[in-house]
Amino acid sequence: MNPLYIVDAIRTPFTKAGSTLASLDAVDLGRAAVTALLTRTGIDPGVIDETIFGCVGQPAHAQNIARVIALRSGVPDSKPAMTVHRNCASGLEAITTAHQRICADQGQVFLVGGTESMSNMPFYFQKPAVEKFTALARSKSLPQKAHAVASFRAADFSPVIGLELGLTDPVAEMNMGRTAELLAREFSISREAQDAFALRSHLRAAQNAGVLAEEIAPVYPTEGEPVLTDNGIRADATVERLAQLRPIFDRRYGSVTAGNSSQITDGAVALLVCSEKALALHGWEPLGKLTHYAATGCEPERMGLGPVRAMDAVLQRAKLRLDDIDLFEINEAFAAQVLAVLKCLQDESAARRAGLESPLGELDPARLNVAGGAIALGHPVGASGARLVLTALRQMKSCGHKRSLISLCVGGGQGVAAILET
Amino acid sequence: MKNLLPPPTKDPDADRPYLAGHPAPAGPKSFHRSIDEDGVCWLTFDAPTAGVNLWNEGTLREFVWHIEQIEIDHHIRALVIRSAKERVFIAGADLHAVRSLITPRLHQLIWLGQAAFDRLARLPMPKVAIIHGACAGGGFEMALACDWRIASDDGSTRIGLPETQLGILPGWGGCVRLPRLIGLRRALDVILGGKLFPAKKAFKKGLVTHLAPRESMETLARDLTKRSRPQAQVHLDNFPGLSRAVASFARQAVLKKTRGLYPAPLRAIDVAARALHLATEEGLALERHAILDLAASPEAAHLIDLFFKRETANKQRPPEGVALPIRDAVVVGAGVMGSGIAQLIATRGIRTLMTDISTDALSSGLSRIRSLTVEAADKRVLTPKQARQTLDRVSVTHQRVPLTHHPLIIEAATEDLSTKKRIFADLAARSAPDTILATNTSALSVAEIAEGIPHPERVIGLHFFNPVHQMPLVEVVVLPQTSKDVIATAITFVQSLGKTPVVVRDHPGFVVNRILVPYLLEAVRLHTQGVGTKEIDAAMLDFGMPMGPLRLLDEIGLDVAQHVAETLTEAFPDRLSKIDTLNSMIQAGALGRKNGKGFYQYENGQPSEEWHSSENAQPGASLPSREAIQHRLAALLSEEAQRCLDDGVAATGSDIDLAMVLGTGYPPFRGGPLAHAEASGH
Repeated sequence: MNPLYIVDAIRTPFTKAGSTLASLDAVDLGRAAVTALLTRTGIDPGVIDETIFGCVGQPAHAQNIARVIALRSGVPDSKPAMTVHRNCASGLEAITTAHQRICADQGQVFLVGGTESMSNMPFYFQKPAVEKFTALARSKSLPQKAHAVASFRAADFSPVIGLELGLTDPVAEMNMGRTAELLAREFSISREAQDAFALRSHLRAAQNAGVLAEEIAPVYPTEGEPVLTDNGIRADATVERLAQLRPIFDRRYGSVTAGNSSQITDGAVALLVCSEKALALHGWEPLGKLTHYAATGCEPERMGLGPVRAMDAVLQRAKLRLDDIDLFEINEAFAAQVLAVLKCLQDESAARRAGLESPLGELDPARLNVAGGAIALGHPVGASGARLVLTALRQMKSCGHKRSLISLCVGGGQGVAAILET
Repeated sequence: MKNLLPPPTKDPDADRPYLAGHPAPAGPKSFHRSIDEDGVCWLTFDAPTAGVNLWNEGTLREFVWHIEQIEIDHHIRALVIRSAKERVFIAGADLHAVRSLITPRLHQLIWLGQAAFDRLARLPMPKVAIIHGACAGGGFEMALACDWRIASDDGSTRIGLPETQLGILPGWGGCVRLPRLIGLRRALDVILGGKLFPAKKAFKKGLVTHLAPRESMETLARDLTKRSRPQAQVHLDNFPGLSRAVASFARQAVLKKTRGLYPAPLRAIDVAARALHLATEEGLALERHAILDLAASPEAAHLIDLFFKRETANKQRPPEGVALPIRDAVVVGAGVMGSGIAQLIATRGIRTLMTDISTDALSSGLSRIRSLTVEAADKRVLTPKQARQTLDRVSVTHQRVPLTHHPLIIEAATEDLSTKKRIFADLAARSAPDTILATNTSALSVAEIAEGIPHPERVIGLHFFNPVHQMPLVEVVVLPQTSKDVIATAITFVQSLGKTPVVVRDHPGFVVNRILVPYLLEAVRLHTQGVGTKEIDAAMLDFGMPMGPLRLLDEIGLDVAQHVAETLTEAFPDRLSKIDTLNSMIQAGALGRKNGKGFYQYENGQPSEEWHSSENAQPGASLPSREAIQHRLAALLSEEAQRCLDDGVAATGSDIDLAMVLGTGYPPFRGGPLAHAEASGH
């Protein structure tokens, strides 16, 4: 496989939903990341062949959000743009799609990334309410209108929360948190282990603030101070404090809490990627390259195990073993879910339950998520896949590593993994 | 002189012998006339050699000849008048004629236009004007003689009566017909404002009867010719008692604004109000006499000359060199000037990168850009879409990013030589070798700022004035080594921003500050001698300056002014000497309006009391009269302007006059400091 080169990458700060970046929608966030990337690289946007962005909850006012971001960031209107969707892996999907385009000789230079404003997920009306609104709009005479108005009930005005809807699997009919609870039960992952993993994420992120800062370009909201850093990291987190939080998905018997789950976050990532040919043509110095990737499926009820098969598939494609990898980035959707993945990688029976013929071996925890993960930084769903690529590349650069593997579990029962090299 | 005038007329038919029976005009045709199967006559104005349609003796006579043909052609049941030009309907009268004709010839031209449009108005058939593009002055007065005026909703359509801005008044029926059409009060707004309105606004003001997409205008015109002609509306403000009150209010407003220095608006009010209660011919006669009086005034001469100078500066292609289009620009510095320049550039479709080393400075710079843009949208200068696009075009960075694909970088950092030198060296290192490096310095030497940088032929000064979005002037500071292409690009760029470029040499203070500083220092000196702040400012307000010199110092900021003054006192030690007053005021914490204390004290940005009273006032010492102050200060401006010209800082005196009017608000009716000196015999 010819590699895909990552010329440069940048992201906005990742901030808790409803906090400093809440006034920006997914377009604004994407635009902030893209303009920062274009400014940093100093490239002429005219060299971009296509813009590809991932976004899970596309705003109703910006269908094909990639096109809106591209145009509003100054990419010439003669250059096409498309939006991709593979739930939590959408940001990575944008990158792999660019690679497929290059393989199909459909361009050489791509502006890719992911964006998500979890603060701005819409509220919907219930179906019966929508029907009543339609009837009202269609009624002409005054009595008809009065009748239509009279048909409304108080319950019609209680909204359906888009975010909740998005985080619920329509096939498994389970909320994502409940899939994590299922894994915790089935793989006997204790509350203590989950909290310890969450604590590690926060402390690692706090310790690596310097390297993380290099990933970030400031964002200047219309109101208020410039936003310069992530705001989800708690350097002062302790096991005691995490232990005080109550389970939210299964209040009586559960162990998954807000503290050991990924945060609901706003943010965007943008990357400039290209073929080897374009790299030589423009004389760019790349950050690194994407050499292999794989997407696999699993049961939607156990979507958190997605990385197991995906990592197996990508290592087979690359003809590599776990030991050949210097750094791992596994997206921390839930502590329970990451811990279940690690168990399936090394434990014979767990591996079989996850669909592997034999375990891959032990993953050295010291090489996993060295700068923390989504539990500390947050998980703006459409952007996280791209963020893992950016973080892995920056980490490899700062530690002098050669090869990293990134992977995400995907709502709906999928896993995606990719191998990056410097 | 009287017997040279055409005979006064009462009976409309009395016009006919004078005009009738002209043979078809010889020479190139400006009008094309055709009649369709419906009996609609389409008269198309298409001046053969010029890019615009203008009224002059030739085009007017040809127009009259066509009207005559239409009068006698019984197949014609309606008339539609349109233009074949892409962006112009009729741009008005040929001002060169107004400026240069001797009075009898001018009278003839005025009379000819009045008669032509009067005859058009009397044509016993529906008449429609299809207005697409500029429709100004005489162009609109022609349209006023029609029954319907359709304006295209295109951005190029601009409609209005700008005459009073040129020291004259609408003399071809504008003062007579417009008040009857839309009422005296609204008509005076249009005539006295002298603005050209976009189509939608013109429609709201009643200047046109219909708005239509360009493609549908002819269909609409055809429909209108089948309708009965519109009824005249009754306007309450046109009744004798009310019209007098409206006129009196308007007169007071004008006097308050102009201190009686501009005769044209007052005369226009008089003509418009009186003509309401006279027969059309009598009203036209009033108008005719008024415009002849005004056209002979020095005010009109100066205003028209300035108009020509500005048009030339705004539109003329640079004589040499090739201008490159600028689509991306960088502004270095996010302060008041930097953000102002970035905002202006972005409104004109140019992607703008604003850089500053501080994220806080970028944040407040962006806030300024946002509020300027929101303000422009609120004032309908920008549509909401244009406002959003403007903000989309602005990006910022606090990092040292490559600038190789930007053709123009404008440095607007702190006014400090070593800072600017350092920035210039850095910019040269990370831009392309042909990137134009411009500085917005107001008083430092451009050559010194750019000393030692590679490819010095790309260095130029672009001196914008504060507030950038309002001030129409940009001094383009040219070094001996600046290449012709760079000069041409800079001039064209400034023009594309809607600003007027004036090319100046890299000489201390360039033109505007050089001439202004001795005047400001003298005002401070007078104040030090005991003349009251308000007395000095009033003297120059009476002269016609928009703001007195001490108030202006407060606006500029005493620290900024002091900085510029130092540069100039160092450059011209024989003529200028330092005055300690400014220094001691600055040390006392008075920086001008920005911190509420200067020569005046400010509350909510408005001057209230004099803050700085003179300590040296000697009791009993005789102080100069207001006239003497005015004379002395005005003479200083003119003298320094002459020295500036002698030193070759600008190429012509007319450039200097234009720069002073646009850069300082020097009274336009005086034409500029050099024109004023000439007129007053200095």
